[in-house]
Amino acid sequence: MIRMFHVYKNYPNKIQALRDINIHIRKGEFVFLVGPTGAGKSTLLKLIYRGIVPTKGQVIVDGINIARLKPGYIPYLRRNIGIVFQDFKLLYDRTVYENISFGLKAIGATNFEIRQQVKKVFNLVGLEHKKKIKPHLLSGGEQQKLCIARAIANEPLILLTDEPTGNLDPYTSWEIMKLLFHINIRGTTIVMASHDKLMVDKAKKRVVRLERGRIIEDTQRGIY
Amino acid sequence: MIFENMGFYIKEALLSFRRSTLMSMATILSITTILIIVGVLLLISINSSLFLKNLESQLEIVVYLEDNISKAELKNLKSNITSIDGIKEVKFVSKEEAYQRLSEDLGEQKDILSAIEVNPLPASFEIQVKDPKVIEQIANRIVEFKKVEEVEYGRETAERLLNFTYIFRRAGMLVLALLIFASILIISNIIKITVYARRNEIEIMSLAGATSWFIKWPFIIEGFLQGFISAIFSIIILYNFYFLAINKVHQVIPFLPLVVDNIDLLPIGLAIVLLGSFVGILGSMFSVGKYLDV
Repeated sequence: MIRMFHVYKNYPNKIQALRDINIHIRKGEFVFLVGPTGAGKSTLLKLIYRGIVPTKGQVIVDGINIARLKPGYIPYLRRNIGIVFQDFKLLYDRTVYENISFGLKAIGATNFEIRQQVKKVFNLVGLEHKKKIKPHLLSGGEQQKLCIARAIANEPLILLTDEPTGNLDPYTSWEIMKLLFHINIRGTTIVMASHDKLMVDKAKKRVVRLERGRIIEDTQRGIY
Repeated sequence: MIFENMGFYIKEALLSFRRSTLMSMATILSITTILIIVGVLLLISINSSLFLKNLESQLEIVVYLEDNISKAELKNLKSNITSIDGIKEVKFVSKEEAYQRLSEDLGEQKDILSAIEVNPLPASFEIQVKDPKVIEQIANRIVEFKKVEEVEYGRETAERLLNFTYIFRRAGMLVLALLIFASILIISNIIKITVYARRNEIEIMSLAGATSWFIKWPFIIEGFLQGFISAIFSIIILYNFYFLAINKVHQVIPFLPLVVDNIDLLPIGLAIVLLGSFVGILGSMFSVGKYLDV
């Protein structure tokens, strides 16, 4: 599903964010990216959704070489990728329902399809009883669930999450994790950057450890 | 794709007006202010252009005729003059008419004319030309004709006036161009602020896989509406204040030529609408483009 070959990423201020990254993430896998701040976790996620292009090396996502992808095709790559951010990135002037339907509308879904899909994700994450309120009235955990709902609404092949439990208490974090496992079981490949030792250890999934831009450890059923 | 979703784009644009009423109102107010300033200058410019034209049209050639001119020669001379290119109007002033005018001009002092036994004033043609720039050429040709005693056209006055109108027009155009340029910059910056306020939305849509045109359309429509509504407001305000102002001016200087015809004012209205709408559209298009690179 995701392959990287000798990937380097340098930022304009000459910081080497990634150095010689080689990784293969198979379809349906659940992978934690761990490591200290600045290790390159977010950069690696950005490469996958083509928020940036590699300085050197190849990134293949679902058979597409993202470095050679023409700008006009980026939207179509992203329709296969759901993204969940630590800072939510919700639209606070729209309702819960509209936050989910907005992304579906953006990729050209019909109103009928939108109603069907939103109903489906509500079944998965809950929140249906709050669909008419604005996100600022939701708790942190609920807002994160809403982000996940939005990210999976169009049933992407890959779900990227950047510290989704970063701002949540352990109980709520585990709720979110259970939700992600559930999505993973349904076939979605999940890559999750995390600082959350508790969650990573409890999950017993593949753990890829980054340090100063390099992969220094890659273990199945690993711990933080 | 474009027309399929046009309903959605328009709805999004209108919703955005409702979601951020204050921001939209501030935007429209700012653009309206700028367009009013542009409009005032345009109004001044068409009025001064009318004034200059009027001034120039007062330049005329006076052809004094020899006293012994016969009727046939007179007719011949008139048709010769009329056939010159660029002549607008030729008016014959007889000796008697000239005498009459002089006595009217003298008013109470017309008694001095009684001291003169014969009418000393020559008959003349008063000639108006289409383009005051060629007044000298035409005068030089008429002088060559037979039975023409003298040709007068106020050479120095004409040159000075033409010089003045030339400089005035050029300066006016320069000021107008600068102001329109400045207004384009200011309006597109105002639009940029409204787009900036919604950069999150742009980023989210882009990450969700929306194409760039899908993201741009609602903003383009919103920019157009903001520009267009501002233009309409400024036209309404300008129109009312303009007629109020020219009434006042006419009370003070009754003979000053002013543009009062709606037809003549129409181009200004169109210019304001075009300026508002186009800058609204282009401003939002470019601003959205800036936030699309995520």
